[in-house]
Order: sequence, then structure tokens, then C-alpha cells
Amino acid sequence: MADKDSTAAAPAAAAVGQFHEVQKGETLGRIAEKYYGDPSLYKDIFEANKDILKDPNKIFPGQKLRIP
Amino acid sequence: MSLKRRFGQFAAVAFVGLVLAACASQKEPAAAAISGIESAISGASAEASKYVPDQLADVQSKLAALKDSFAKQDYKAVITGAPAVLSAAQGLAAAAAAKKDEIVKALSDDWTGLAGSLPGVLDAVKSRVDILSKSKKLPAGVDLASAKASLADASGLWDKAKAAFAANNLEEAVSTAKDVKAKADAAASALKLNLTPAPK
Repeated sequence: MADKDSTAAAPAAAAVGQFHEVQKGETLGRIAEKYYGDPSLYKDIFEANKDILKDPNKIFPGQKLRIP
Repeated sequence: MSLKRRFGQFAAVAFVGLVLAACASQKEPAAAAISGIESAISGASAEASKYVPDQLADVQSKLAALKDSFAKQDYKAVITGAPAVLSAAQGLAAAAAAKKDEIVKALSDDWTGLAGSLPGVLDAVKSRVDILSKSKKLPAGVDLASAKASLADASGLWDKAKAAFAANNLEEAVSTAKDVKAKADAAASALKLNLTPAPK
């Protein structure tokens, strides 16, 4: 084995996670409650999806959110 | 005693002498042939016993048969059978090397897959553990304590797997990485965390 660096020997870490498709009427708080049991943790979902969400109060049906 | 009878006795003694001489002349090459086979087996046995044990056992069994013939003074059988056994013995090293290469390639592929996926899985589990640790009320069915324990085990094992890989111990690296995966899967299950690849 020429390369002893485990990160160099492997491809970049695959992007795995839990994902949720937004349904009509859902809010980030409701989604946070579903996955975390606590709606106040919606900010964690918002932070993880800042690439597609600009405002935590504006989510749309069909959006696929990463649930960290 | 008649001349004819004395000649007959002489002929019998001469025949036995010739047979004994022939046997004696075959004993040395037979012994050398067995020694050559033993030497070939000895040189390859360490790797052969690990990678081609069945092939090694077959050659050893054939050598035992030759030794048996030698013990019965059937040197001709030894000399006749030895070349094939020697050839098989000499092939052990190459067969073991080929099998070793095959195993190393399979292990390398396993490692590449595990090293590519496990860090992402561990990150995802840790992220969920951190968030749930702040939750005022955990969702039904989530066992945070169990997940934390499994994650701690998985993280420790992952460090061990990477160290084994760095030390060129691919077998241990892959074996430990598989243990990491089992622990990470257990943690994800305890969190009801269904990990999937990111949607395109």
C-alpha cells in the first residue's frame, strides 16, 4: 500500500443524511418537533438548509430539507 | 554337486546381487527427490498455510505417500512420482502470492468503500445526538443514551481502524471499520435516523 493516509485512499465522504420533503401546511417548527421532539430546535434545520432557505418562515411543499 | 547345479546357484546369487545394486543406486536419487520436495514446501509453507491451505495439504499428503514408498524401499515409485509432487510444491509460493494479491485487492476495495462512507455517517449521527441533547422532549422511540454509547464506541473504533490502515494492517483496518459501521448503524437506529444519500 503506497498511501497510508486514509482520507487520501478513499473518495470524499459521501453526503448522507436524513431528508424530509415539505408537505403542505408544514412549518420548520412542526418538522423540528417531528424529528427532535422540540419545535424550538427549528433553527438547526434552518441552518442546515441555508443554501435553499432564506427565511425560516418561508418553506414550500416539495422542498427537500436536510434534517441534521 | 553337478556343474549345472553350481551354475544355477551362482546365477541366483548374481541376480540377487544385481537387484540389490539396482535398489541401492535408486535409493540416493529417491532420497534427494524427497529432500527437494521438502525444501520447496518449507520455503512456501508460511504463506501457503495462510492463503492456499488446501493446496498445501494436498502436496503434503503426496509427499507423505512418497515417503511411505521410500520406507518400503520402493525407490522407483518415489523417483517416478517425485517430479509431479516437486512441481506442485514449487507452485505453492506462486499460488499463495496470487491468492494474497486477490485478498489484498478485495480488502482495499472494502476499505475504500468504508473510508468513503463512514465519516459521513458518523458526522450525521453526531450532529443528531448534539441536537437531540438540547431537546426538551425526545421523540417517541428515540434512545439517546444508547445512541451516545454506540457513537462513542464507533468513534473510538474508527480511530483504531485508521491507525491500523496507517500501519499497513489492511485486514485489521477493514475488520475494525466493519465494527464501526455496525456501531454507527446501531446509533442511527436508536435515534430513528434513516440515513440516505443526498437527493440530486
